[in-house]
Amino acid sequence: MSAGLWRASLRHLARRPGQIGLSVLGIALGVAVALAVGLATGSARRAFELATEAVTGRATHQIVGGPTGLSEDVYRMLRLDLGVQRAAPVVALDVAAPDHPGRVFQLLGVDPFAEAPFRPHFGSDDPLGTVAALVTRPGAIVMSGPTARALGLAPGATLTIRVAGARHPLTLVGTVEPADPLSTQALESVLVTDIATAQELAGNKGRLSRIDLIIGFRPADRALLERIRRALPPGVELARAGAQAEATASMTAAFTLNLRALSLLALVVGMFLIYNTMTFSVVQRRALLGTLRALGVTRGEVFTLVTVEALALGAVGTLLGIGLGLALAQGLLHLVTRTINDLYFALSVREVWLTPGAVLEAAGLGLGTTVLAALAPAREATGIRPREALVRSRLEAASRRAAPRAALAGLALGAVGVLALVPRGPVWGFVGLFAILMGAALMTPLAVAVLLRALDRPIARAGGLLGRMAARAITAAPSRTGVAIAALMIAVSATIGVGVMIASFREAVLRWLEGTLRADVYVAPPSLVGSRPDATLDPALVQRLATAPGVAAAGTARGVTVASARGPVHVVAIGMAAGHAPGFAFKRGRPEAVWPQVDKGAVIVSEPFAYRRHVGVGDRVRLRTREGEQAFPIAGIFYDYGSSAGVVMMSRATYERHWADRGVSSLALYAAPGVDLERLIAELRARAAAGPVPADVLIRSNRALREASLAIFDRTFAVTRVLRFLIVVVAFVGVLSALMALALERVRELGLQRALGLTPGQVWGVITAQTGLMGLVAGLLAIPVGVLLAGVLVFVINRRSFGWTMPIDVHPAILLQGLLLAVAAALLAGAVPAARMARASPVEALRDE
Amino acid sequence: MNERERRERATAQTWAWVRWAAARIALLTLVLGLGIVALVMVTEGPRWYPASPVRARLSVAEALGGVPATGFARALTPQPFTFPRDHGPHPDFRTEWWYWTGNLLAPSGRHFGFQLTFFRAALAPGAPRRESDWATSQVYLAHFALTDTRSERFRSWSRTSRGALGLAGATAEPFRVWLGDWEARSEGAATFPLRLHAGDEDVSVDLWLDGGKPPVAQGDAGLSRKGPEPGNASYYYSFTRMPARGVVRVRGERLDVEGLAWMDREWSTSALGKDLAGWDWFALQLEDGRDLMFYQLRRQDGGAAEWSAGVLVDAKGTAHPLGARDVRVESRGTWRSPRSNVAYPAGWRLTGAGLTLELEPRLADQEMDVSPRYWEGAVKVRGFEGSRPVLGSGYVELVGYGERRLGAKR
Repeated sequence: MSAGLWRASLRHLARRPGQIGLSVLGIALGVAVALAVGLATGSARRAFELATEAVTGRATHQIVGGPTGLSEDVYRMLRLDLGVQRAAPVVALDVAAPDHPGRVFQLLGVDPFAEAPFRPHFGSDDPLGTVAALVTRPGAIVMSGPTARALGLAPGATLTIRVAGARHPLTLVGTVEPADPLSTQALESVLVTDIATAQELAGNKGRLSRIDLIIGFRPADRALLERIRRALPPGVELARAGAQAEATASMTAAFTLNLRALSLLALVVGMFLIYNTMTFSVVQRRALLGTLRALGVTRGEVFTLVTVEALALGAVGTLLGIGLGLALAQGLLHLVTRTINDLYFALSVREVWLTPGAVLEAAGLGLGTTVLAALAPAREATGIRPREALVRSRLEAASRRAAPRAALAGLALGAVGVLALVPRGPVWGFVGLFAILMGAALMTPLAVAVLLRALDRPIARAGGLLGRMAARAITAAPSRTGVAIAALMIAVSATIGVGVMIASFREAVLRWLEGTLRADVYVAPPSLVGSRPDATLDPALVQRLATAPGVAAAGTARGVTVASARGPVHVVAIGMAAGHAPGFAFKRGRPEAVWPQVDKGAVIVSEPFAYRRHVGVGDRVRLRTREGEQAFPIAGIFYDYGSSAGVVMMSRATYERHWADRGVSSLALYAAPGVDLERLIAELRARAAAGPVPADVLIRSNRALREASLAIFDRTFAVTRVLRFLIVVVAFVGVLSALMALALERVRELGLQRALGLTPGQVWGVITAQTGLMGLVAGLLAIPVGVLLAGVLVFVINRRSFGWTMPIDVHPAILLQGLLLAVAAALLAGAVPAARMARASPVEALRDE
Repeated sequence: MNERERRERATAQTWAWVRWAAARIALLTLVLGLGIVALVMVTEGPRWYPASPVRARLSVAEALGGVPATGFARALTPQPFTFPRDHGPHPDFRTEWWYWTGNLLAPSGRHFGFQLTFFRAALAPGAPRRESDWATSQVYLAHFALTDTRSERFRSWSRTSRGALGLAGATAEPFRVWLGDWEARSEGAATFPLRLHAGDEDVSVDLWLDGGKPPVAQGDAGLSRKGPEPGNASYYYSFTRMPARGVVRVRGERLDVEGLAWMDREWSTSALGKDLAGWDWFALQLEDGRDLMFYQLRRQDGGAAEWSAGVLVDAKGTAHPLGARDVRVESRGTWRSPRSNVAYPAGWRLTGAGLTLELEPRLADQEMDVSPRYWEGAVKVRGFEGSRPVLGSGYVELVGYGERRLGAKR
């Protein structure tokens, strides 16, 4: 191919810096969003693995007990009777640092003398030198050096932590200095104490969280494993190290998938942008391309020319997008971490973990979508026959004829999408979602034509001749307007779909909270993260508060994590307040039938739990209790939006019988009739503060708790909202680019109109009307597509990812918002070209080209 | 040129362009990929980490770490020993040990040497009053080694545990010192016989020790001075000849053994003077019924310190103290450890108390693979008293070679 051809191509691109810049920006934004989400979720996952590695160390097996751990006698037995050498006791608890808001730590109580084979970074061979302070000083801690410095803590400084509603000052006696960045991240949120200090902080004398073991694969090791297993008391089990952590981590898979899919939506919008740009550049160069063909340039050369042009744009956009994505990832990481904290487990991630894989994936996505988007315009360019080249109207006519065929293809694609929704699994859900979306995009040109014909009369009445001109200009050039409207429609429908989904979810949560929270006052220790009750209340405090004057009845709840063969299970034991049935809404089972069974030892499970484990009423849940594994019959399935992992709920009596744990995580108090709530809360707060140790507990009214819960919900969806916003930004850039190109195309035509006597104001009006009309049409088309999208998200994706079902709730406000967004974006996009053209002198406009 | 030819040429041309385009796109992708990698490398620096285990180092502030000597009792004046009380622990002192070594023979004449030592180290003075049963300031270390002379194998192990929760500890009545399942304990109400048990992997030792000769108070009635300052001393007594019998298990073999053991008991807070680097300790049991102990304290410059001392116990059990000048120790060679690359003396001639004794290690490599490292090994004794030949066996301990000054060990 001759250099001259490339020069012509370059000149063409250089003449349209604005348009080219915008499409580069569009692809850059799409790539950035995809990369950022990938990096953020990947980093969160990696941080979890690292944190697990930091605290699991080289352990191959773990001995674990029930919710209150296991007796330290088991450890003594291992050491003295079985002579097990590589065993390390661990007391682990999650703690918050109230002086450093947002910081959560895993406090790891270890025996430094047993640590060396497990976590060499915490152990020491030289007990006299390094670990003396840790062992002999109550409340001594060691933490990662970088974290200590980030918190402004020097050795000797005090770090106050909160455990079970009480504050404890700890002394930093030393630091663990990581040797590499990976270790820095692994140790980031770990506090190491002597096991004695950890037991004292946890208030769990005589108990261990677990015992780590290193056991090899030789026959002698297997025999040892068997001897250990036989020697363990009931309720205590030997497990492969990391098994629990794996189960925990896999819960976030669906959440991650959702984010990735939403981020791809941004890239799809970006793809439309490239398609649009390339189509335009082909249309604009029809004459040139036709001439070239007449001069003997082959189809292949034309095809290559267009593809390479697109690839160049895509490459620049991808590079920019990778840079932008790295910056964006840091911000998203924060939001993703918060959601994981609220929904799943405590996690602290400060740094984006960059992998070559993620970057290559983003590059592949960027270039791949570009090439894909350029295929059609490139093919179209090769189809230009030398003789017809100068007849532009033929193309438009062909486009118009193609519209019904595209619509048919779109319909078929949509049908495929619906079919894809049938198999289980969230991945298929997203495949279906994208197919439906693309199908809708293909149907857009026909829909636009139909819609505009229907609007013809109202437009004529409202805008007269000029209005009609604007409308006709759209249908006259479907090759240019169709794609722009489709891109805008896709973007707006995505925002409508995600918006309706969030609103439906919020409405369901609101109704659920109203039904569930029936007591007047709730007491709970400030939990570390989100809504999961994990700490316990001081029993004396429970007594003081439950017997306060004005309290008619008190209910309790105890939330713990219990091991099961299929991973950890969140169990909540409820002590019902006399005369107040808990306000659960049942999906399966009638309350009057369920509660008597629960009293007799049955359990009820939340909807996500039933979905995840494929269990129903009449099935049994197997949980590891004090006496070993026990099966609990399921009496009902209740709606619960608090935990995506699922909850098993049982009566207090059942729980105490099987786990011998008397801890209370939260308290629900019912006021006696006629008692003023404000004064009751004040009285309760005074009682809480009156104890020997002032209790650091939250005493909240029903309303305050409901608001706090909703705030957590909103926080959980913050990352989804941000993604929605980013999609809008990409769409906006797309519309700007498409309409600017369109307006530039029409310079000549408008110059003619000016010459025929249209005032600059009228020209401005025509262009504004045209862009506004396109926005309106896109917005109107986006409404049904958006609602369809929301339906798929709510009924298919959410259910498969999280196990939640909820009624869809279409707020007119969200639809209107989408419509306004489309019109506003279009008007804004049309403003610049309109102003420029209105100013341009007709002579100049005509002289152009 | 007919129609078909033209079409064929056009097709060929198209394919040529497609190939050309494919090459261009591949090149572009490659350049772009490299560009991205370079960009990220430049902006991100060395953050491409492989998956590796956590690597970090514990660092404790100087002011907060370590164990100061203040607050502990000191060995200042001779205190008569009271048994069985003094077999038990002395937690007011910072450091203490129960030390058994011995030479054992199987009926076939196969020789074994063993060492089993329990160290107690206090991390802080006083006993903590805390809620958790794990809380303690006492740490126990134990070293166990077996010299299998015929197989030319020497193996050693060490263990550490806090002195809490029954995991490790020591009691006087009934006597017991233990760490995990390694222990030395009285079998009945009396202190002796003692039962010793230790083992790891495919090696274990089960021995019954009698008291043998009465205990010998070392130094000045039990106060063993090791430096010029008051308090640079330890309380030190020994059982120099303990008849031992029992079982050695090694690599699947079970052997009945008999022999002689030696027990050292010592406690102190700050034994060594500042200028001392370490010591060479000799504990020899002669076939004529006499036992000789001598330790030579080495100065940092390598010379023998004036605080070196020893004792000669006659067959009846009467102790005759030896001063630094009473015994001359000459090293006959060196052995360099392949593990630590530390050079130890190997083979000695001891001259004094009318004896000239040649000491030869049963194995060259009896270096304890523990932290800090030291050499502790069985030796064969041959020599003369005047012209009368003298035979025996014993143990030698070499501490402070190639290591920093010691804290936990003597």
